[in-house]
Amino acid sequence: MTAKNINLTLKVWRQNGPEDKGRFENYEAKDISTDMSFLEMLDVVNEKLTLEGREPIAFDSDCREGPICQCGSVVNGRPHGHEKGTTLCQLHMRHFDDGDTIAIEPFRARAFKVLKDLMVDRGALDKIIQAGGYISVNAGGAPDANSIPIPQDVAEKAMDAAACIGCGACVAACPNASAMLFTSAKVSQLALLPQGKPEAAKRAITMVRAMDALGFGNCTNERECEAECPKEISIINIARMNREFLKASFFSDVM
Amino acid sequence: MKLDAKIPAGPIQDKWDKHRFELKLVNPANKRKFEIIVVGTGLAGGAAAATMAELGYNVKNFCIQDSPRRAHSIAAQGGINAAKNYQNDGDSIWRLFYDTVKGGDFRAREANVYRLAQVSRNIIDQGVAQGIPFAREYGGQLANRSFGGAQVSRTFYARGQTGQQLLLGAYSSLSRQVAAGKVKMYPRQEMLDVVLVNGKARGIVTRNLVSGEIEKHAAHAVVLATGGYGNVFFLSTNAMNCNVNAAFRAYRRGAFFGNPCYTQIHPTCIPVHGTYQSKLTLMSESLRNDGRVWVPKNPGDKRAPGDIPESERFYYLEEKYPSFGNLVPRDVASRNAKEQCDAGRGVGETGLAVYLDFADAIKRDGEDVIGRKYGNLFQMYEKITAQDPYKVPMMIYPAVHYTMGGLWVDYNLMTTVPGLFATGECNFSDHGANRLGASALMQGLADGYFVIPYTIGGYLASESIENVTTDHPAFKDSLSYVNDRINKLLAVNGKRTVDDFHRQLGQIMWDYCGMARNNEGLDKAKGMIQELRAEFWENVIVPGETNDVNQSLEKAGRVADFMEFAELMVTDARHRQESCGGHFNEGFQTGESEALRDDENFCYAAAWESKGLDAEPELHREPLTFEHVKLTQRSYK
Amino acid sequence: MNWITKTMGSSIGKKLMMAVTGLGFIGFLAGHLAGNLTIYGGKDAFNSYAEHLHSLGPLVTLAEWILLTFAVIHVGTGLLLFLQNRKARPAKYAVNKSAGGRTLGSGTMPYTGLIMLVFILVHLLNFHFVDKTDTTIFEIVSEAFTDPVYVLFYVAAMIVVAVHVSHGFWSALQTLGANHPKYMPLFQVCGLAFSVIVGVGFGFIPIYFSILV
Repeated sequence: MTAKNINLTLKVWRQNGPEDKGRFENYEAKDISTDMSFLEMLDVVNEKLTLEGREPIAFDSDCREGPICQCGSVVNGRPHGHEKGTTLCQLHMRHFDDGDTIAIEPFRARAFKVLKDLMVDRGALDKIIQAGGYISVNAGGAPDANSIPIPQDVAEKAMDAAACIGCGACVAACPNASAMLFTSAKVSQLALLPQGKPEAAKRAITMVRAMDALGFGNCTNERECEAECPKEISIINIARMNREFLKASFFSDVM
Repeated sequence: MKLDAKIPAGPIQDKWDKHRFELKLVNPANKRKFEIIVVGTGLAGGAAAATMAELGYNVKNFCIQDSPRRAHSIAAQGGINAAKNYQNDGDSIWRLFYDTVKGGDFRAREANVYRLAQVSRNIIDQGVAQGIPFAREYGGQLANRSFGGAQVSRTFYARGQTGQQLLLGAYSSLSRQVAAGKVKMYPRQEMLDVVLVNGKARGIVTRNLVSGEIEKHAAHAVVLATGGYGNVFFLSTNAMNCNVNAAFRAYRRGAFFGNPCYTQIHPTCIPVHGTYQSKLTLMSESLRNDGRVWVPKNPGDKRAPGDIPESERFYYLEEKYPSFGNLVPRDVASRNAKEQCDAGRGVGETGLAVYLDFADAIKRDGEDVIGRKYGNLFQMYEKITAQDPYKVPMMIYPAVHYTMGGLWVDYNLMTTVPGLFATGECNFSDHGANRLGASALMQGLADGYFVIPYTIGGYLASESIENVTTDHPAFKDSLSYVNDRINKLLAVNGKRTVDDFHRQLGQIMWDYCGMARNNEGLDKAKGMIQELRAEFWENVIVPGETNDVNQSLEKAGRVADFMEFAELMVTDARHRQESCGGHFNEGFQTGESEALRDDENFCYAAAWESKGLDAEPELHREPLTFEHVKLTQRSYK
Repeated sequence: MNWITKTMGSSIGKKLMMAVTGLGFIGFLAGHLAGNLTIYGGKDAFNSYAEHLHSLGPLVTLAEWILLTFAVIHVGTGLLLFLQNRKARPAKYAVNKSAGGRTLGSGTMPYTGLIMLVFILVHLLNFHFVDKTDTTIFEIVSEAFTDPVYVLFYVAAMIVVAVHVSHGFWSALQTLGANHPKYMPLFQVCGLAFSVIVGVGFGFIPIYFSILV
């Protein structure tokens, strides 16, 4: 496919800091090659703004190939844009047409504070992991790796859940700004594996409580998270977490 | 100053055990009195911070990302080596050691490499215990694959996300220690200087990337795990924010920089396709297990790949290296791609690409099997290039990927500044002149989980370290240095953007200090860098203010350091009058255009001491002795 | 707080309450529909069904109290969830598009729920809390459905119920953790089928009366 150049109008959310009210500003993006990635298009706009002596648009990005997922914005109402199973950095401009207007907003949720423009603070996701998203094992004492056989399908299921890159698109996409998919991916991964079983009950309870306390909304099974997840993580994980949580709440000793 | 690598005496297989025994221990009750700063949260930093906290030290862990989980280690796709010999194919610690020393073209320290091979086994055990879902066989045992030129299957993997899973494992251990109060996390903080008191590293000065505030942090020891400097080339497979700041600031404060010219050019990346391009994307080299590399036999053949008959294709790797074929080490594969393109056989619009063809593999195994192995990579390729690798051959070209050079460290991973340690890609230690595939994850985690937690104890127990707070004048000096530099950057108010300068610097480095170098080009590059640096300080434009989120300012600071560092790299490349691994000087090659080492004169690690911005750095040599792996010409024929 | 309030107060606990009470109502709907179908058997069949039901005496009262409790929990928790979820995103998106997860049912649950609440109150006033000494339930029903406004109201309400149930059925099972790649598609089909049966089954009764009786 040969590249061509297109012109776009960007409607970008600008916000000076968490306290600022914020507003949309319009920018012209001219001569954008369709081979560019979305973030490279923003780079071009920022170069122009800089040369004009204006402040460039603040947006996070790092690896620009997927897994770090420092990036993430809502493009035309869709976190990471409209391509399925794609992070924003993997969205290429060939998916847009000449003359399009593109609205770019930050991920919005009470638990994600806007730091500046499109940059948000997703520290709440770290706090959920800190509440129990780990196996309590110190370096040094592990038994031989092959001493615990794990059926391939179990390992694969755990891997499906572990694919989460913690980008927060599930929260951004959820009509209720719920972090259930994120939390359940970690609970699932560790509940599936024999290594994670000893702490499974405690983990399910503490992680769900942490998630609730951080101001995320409640899951109402709308499935937007699953549809938007760049790693296509399934809500089967949410069902598994529900099971783990209820089992732990009613049948374990964890108070 | 004489370099002392502090390699323990005795047989190589006992060195590490003996050393661990000889290292002084810190009394458990005293550990909590020590504060340790770790900069970086990747495999080396995250693992080190978590493990030292587990031991009882108080750790302050810094990263520039918004979360420790977003370190660049996460992007590694292929796998991690370990001498487990689970496949019963003859692997052993000794073989991994041997392969690594040979793969590094005999420019690594034997004792370090042996230790790396030894602890490689523990890493896999640790990872599984943490819940990393490594690939499994039907029987529930761990799966392995052969990778990056190894003739045994010793690579463990988790789909195409091995780095991600290993990093999230380290991150989970780290999170546990954060919850326990033993690690205090400082995300979105960039280290801008290391603070020395009485010659020892006692803290750092950082910029809070959200508030813009310059902060001082004191500790008893500082560990740098800040990754490599591949972004000096502007275009690389490194994440956008990877930089040399921390390592370079340490260099300016007295830490020697080891072998900066050793850069790894990864053979299988998506070719450059426009001037706006911000980074390059790596395609895991596991693709070379099934893909066949070729170019048209006739230079300038612009036919579509499908129209070129078999007889007019040149499978140059298979023909030149019959025993390794498409699986030759990275430096060899990269250089050969360049050679073919230089000869006019390159394909694609720019002529800077070669084909990686899966047609035969698909014919042999079926689309299903190939899809299961490489589906996610094919998908990624298609997303970026809009071409379907199931139907047309991939186009690939080498790109800067990893830097073997880094801060010079001794066997304890301590730099020449007492109390300042460097781990992972940030140090120069284990890969010599070229790193084997799937060994970066191994080294980062080995350093973080199994080496530094011991050796730092040895340092803390044997040195008398007086109490220092951030009120010490050294912190004030450093603070004003950092502030001055920031104000200077903001005050230039010129006409060219930071990226514009960075791109030009990268082009100079790629052209003259890239895959193939020569004396003339290196001399020329040095002058060009100096000129560009002078222009940078007169003509860069950095909008915004310091007391706010200011990404232009962050980039400007990083590029300013790259401008100085690039010169050091060129200096090192120019001085090394031989070719080895990731350093290929065209003046030194065999008749078959392979790298020609000069063991007589250059069998040493080059450690450069800063003499200030305007003076030439001073070279120190750490002689390398090879008692166990015989120095030979590498051959993969 | 003790463990019960902590569990029930958590986001999953609230979902659990919605799911359990919701499934209770689904059971009730099934029973109610089965009874109502006797209406097609004519006046006597329907009246004798009603009589038979009332002869159960205290059991009916017990069932009524259970339903009332469920209703209080379902509506109360639903309202709480609705308000909490609104608060979880204080700043709304300027452009908001679905990625294809939402359905008509899932996106409108609070609203269809409220409409149903109004309907249930009207319905109870119409047919439950009426003086039945001089008349039979069949007569009350046929009387009521002579008014086209009533017919329209009832039919519309039944469509709303169907929409609500279309999401509620599988959603309750998902909340209880019953999601499995083998069975979930089946649950979803069952949920849809059930919502159609409920909508048509109940919705046709007013039409039947207004046209045929």
